[in-house]
Amino acid sequence: MSRSYLFIPGNTPSMIQNLDVFESDAIIIDFEDSVSSFDKDSARILIKNFLKKYSYNEVEIYIRINSADSMYFLEDVKVTKDLDIFGYVLPKASVEAIKELNKLTDKAIIPIIESPMALLKVEDIAKEKNVVALLLGAEDYTKELGIKRTLEAVEILYARSIIAITANAYNLDSIDTPYTNKEDEEGLLIDANNALNLGLTSKSSIHPNQVDIINQVFAPSESEILEAKRIVKKSEETDKGAFSLDGKMIDLPVIEKAKKVLEKAKKYNL
Amino acid sequence: MKTSAGSLESSDCLITVSDSSELKIVIESVVLEQFGDQIREVIIQTLSDHNINKIHVQCLDKGALDYTIKSRLETALKRRGENLE
Amino acid sequence: METIKRQNIKVIKNIDELFTLIDISLNRNISFHHHLRNGDYVLNHVLSKYKKENIKGINLFPSAIFPSYNMILELIKNDQINDITTNYINGPTAEYITKHGLPGKLKMQTHGGRARSIIEGKNKIDIAFIAAPYVNKFGDAVGYLGKNKCGSLGYCIPDSIYAKIKVLVTDNLVDNLIENPEINGENIDYILLIDEIGDTMGIVSGTTEITKNPIGVKIAKNTSLLLKELGLIKDNFSFQSGAGGVSLRVTKDLKDIMIKENIKASFFSGGITGYHVEMLEEGLVEKLYDVQCFDLEAIESLSRNEFHIPISASEYANPANENQVIKDLDIVILGATEIDYDFNVNVTTDSHQTLIGGSGGHSDTATEAKVSVIVSPLMRGRIPVIKERVTTITTLGKNIDCLVTERGIAINPLRKDLIKKLKDTKLKVYSINELANIAYNFTNIPKDIIKHDKIIGEVEDRTYKIIDNIYQK
Repeated sequence: MSRSYLFIPGNTPSMIQNLDVFESDAIIIDFEDSVSSFDKDSARILIKNFLKKYSYNEVEIYIRINSADSMYFLEDVKVTKDLDIFGYVLPKASVEAIKELNKLTDKAIIPIIESPMALLKVEDIAKEKNVVALLLGAEDYTKELGIKRTLEAVEILYARSIIAITANAYNLDSIDTPYTNKEDEEGLLIDANNALNLGLTSKSSIHPNQVDIINQVFAPSESEILEAKRIVKKSEETDKGAFSLDGKMIDLPVIEKAKKVLEKAKKYNL
Repeated sequence: MKTSAGSLESSDCLITVSDSSELKIVIESVVLEQFGDQIREVIIQTLSDHNINKIHVQCLDKGALDYTIKSRLETALKRRGENLE
Repeated sequence: METIKRQNIKVIKNIDELFTLIDISLNRNISFHHHLRNGDYVLNHVLSKYKKENIKGINLFPSAIFPSYNMILELIKNDQINDITTNYINGPTAEYITKHGLPGKLKMQTHGGRARSIIEGKNKIDIAFIAAPYVNKFGDAVGYLGKNKCGSLGYCIPDSIYAKIKVLVTDNLVDNLIENPEINGENIDYILLIDEIGDTMGIVSGTTEITKNPIGVKIAKNTSLLLKELGLIKDNFSFQSGAGGVSLRVTKDLKDIMIKENIKASFFSGGITGYHVEMLEEGLVEKLYDVQCFDLEAIESLSRNEFHIPISASEYANPANENQVIKDLDIVILGATEIDYDFNVNVTTDSHQTLIGGSGGHSDTATEAKVSVIVSPLMRGRIPVIKERVTTITTLGKNIDCLVTERGIAINPLRKDLIKKLKDTKLKVYSINELANIAYNFTNIPKDIIKHDKIIGEVEDRTYKIIDNIYQK
C-alpha cells in the first residue's frame, strides 16, 4: 500500500543511515546498478551490520539484489535473508528467477518488469508465490525495444497499463518506473500523474527530493477520503449489498475500494 | 598482503589491513579528539570477535558510525581471505 | 530642488599624504566595515601603512574579519595589535588567534551591539576608514553604485557619524549630487582616492544557492510546516533568513505557501539576496530592509526598487534604538554549529574550539523576533549538533525558541505558548534531550575536548553583558 519506493545505493553510509529521513513509504536498498562489482561484498556486509543494529517501524525496507543469472545473486540472498526486511526487489525478473528466489527465502518479492519478454509473461509472474507488487523498469525495457524514452511516455503506455491491470487483478501493488531527471519537479509531477491515471498505485524514485511529490500524487485526495467515508458509513448502515449514493450505484467492489482509501489515509496521517 | 575496503566520502572510512607480527592500529579521523577511543574500541572488538590478534589496521575515518567501521574492517579482512563465519 | 551650500571635502590622493595631516601614532583605534567581504582591498591597504610605520598598540574595530584580510594577521605576528573588537571572524586570522590569543583581547559583539557601542561611546574609534563605492565631492556616499559596488553600507553608518576622524576611501569620485545618500558628507573629514577599493568577484563571491541536499530540504520542509502550524504565515507577517542554503530553501517553501494561500508579507530584513528581491518584485512582500547585500541581484535592486531600503546597523538592530527594524520581526531563521540543552547557540566556534564566525545579527534577531528558529542537521558527520553545553555561547538560550532538524523539532520549554499550539500536531516534536538522544543513538556521546585554561576573548551580548569567554585551544 506504499505510495513511494526510494532506491538508495547499498554501499553509501551517508544515505543508508538516513533512510528514514526521506519520508518514502518504502526504501529499496540497492545492491545492483549503484554498487560496483568490486564492492558487492562491501555493500552486503554494510547492510547486514546496519540492519542488525537499527530497526525501523515506519518504513518498509526492501533490498534490490542482483539478478538471478548474476554471480552475486546467491550470496546477496544468503547474507540478508535473516535480516528484518520486508523482502526483495528482483531485477530482470522472470518466472524462473522468482522460483529460484523462492527456493532460498520466503520473503516478499517485487519483480522488476524490465524486458519485453517479462512484460509478455507478466500474468505468470504475478501469480508466483510471494510476489506482492510489480515494478516497471522502463529504461531497460525501452532500451531492449530500441525506442526512445520521452516525458510524455507514450512509449510505455502499454507497459504501464498492463502492469496496472495485472497487479489490480491479482491484488498486488503496481509501482511505476522512476523519473530519471532529478532536477525537474514539474516533469516528475506530470509523469507521476500519468502513471496514476493509468491505474498504477505507486512510483519508485532515484532521489530523495522526488519523494514529496510522489507521496502527494499517490495519496488519496481530501475529496476522495470524504467520499470514501460516506460510502463506508452508508454501507454499514444498510444491509443491502448494493445501494445508491448521490445517484451513483455503490456495490461491493466500490465499498472495498473505499475501505482501502480510508486505510491508506489513516496510514499516512491524511 | 594488503587489502582495503570503504571510501573517503563523508560518513565513511577507508580501512586497510596488512600482515603484522603484532596488533597495530593506526587511526586518522576528522573526529579523532571526540571519537578516537571509540573507533579503536570498535576495531579491537571486531578483531577479537573473529579471533584475530596479529594484524596491522589502518583506518582513515571521515566520520563513520560504528557499524560502518565494523563493516569496512570485516570486508577488508574477508578480502584477505580471513574466514569470518 | 532647493540649493544648500555644500562644502567640498578634502580629497587626498594617497595614504602617505593622509598621515601628514593626521598623526598616525595618536590614532590607533581604527575601524573598517566588511561590505566588500572577501573582495575588500581597503583594510589591507590602510593596515600596510600602519605596518610600514611600525605603529604598536593598535586596537581594531572591523565589523567582520574575512579570510582575505591578511594584513591583520601580519600585524598580529609583528606584535602591533592589542585588542580586536568585531562581530565575525573567519579564516587564517581566526585560526591564529584561536591558537595564540592576542596581547589584549578579542571581543565579539553583535551587529546591533556594535552600533550601540559606537553611538554610546563605548567603542572609541579614532579613525573610521570607510570603503565607499560611490562618493561625491561633498562626501555623500552610497554602496549600490560604482564599479565596485557592494550594496547597502549599513554596518559602517555609526562609524561614519561617531568616529573621531572619518575617512571615505573610494575609487569612484563624482561631481553630481546623490539622492538619499547612505553616508552623509557633513560628517566626513577626508576622501582618500585609491585605484581599486575591491574586487567585484570577491564582493559577491559567496554565491547564495538554495540547497538541494535532501537533508537540508527536509529541514526546510519541517520548518515551513512548523511556522504554518504556529499560525505565523499570515498577511503582513515579517521574516528574516540568512543566505545559507537551508534558510533560502525555507524562504522558497514559504513563497510557495504564500502564493497558494494568497498571503503577502510586510517586510523581510537583514541580509538580502536575489530570492528576496524576486519576492519583492512579484508583490509577495512589501518592503526589504537591507543592511547587507549578499549577491549582485540584491545590489542592483537597490537602485531600481523604491521599497528595497538600505538601513544602518543602528536602524537594523541597535537595542537602544526604539525604532530598530527587528523589533517588528515575527520570524527569524538562524543557523547553529552547536546548541545545548538550555538552547544556548554557538556560531562563534566550531566543535573543535576554533573560531569560525560570530554573532553578526544572530543574537540581535533571536532576541527581538517573536519566534526564533534554529535550523540545523541533527548530525554533521559524526558530530551531533546538540551538546550538554555549547563550546561558546553566541546567543543565550532564553532567546532561542525552536530547533528544527531533519529528525524532529524541539521547542524551548520557556515558550509554553508555542508548545500549547503544537499540542495536537502531527509534526515530530521532542524535548531537546530526547532529540539529542536520537542523535547519540547513532553517534554515541562525543568526548568533551574543550580546554578552559586561558581566556583569549569574550562574547559581549547587545545588552553589553559578557555572556561567555573564548578560550585558547
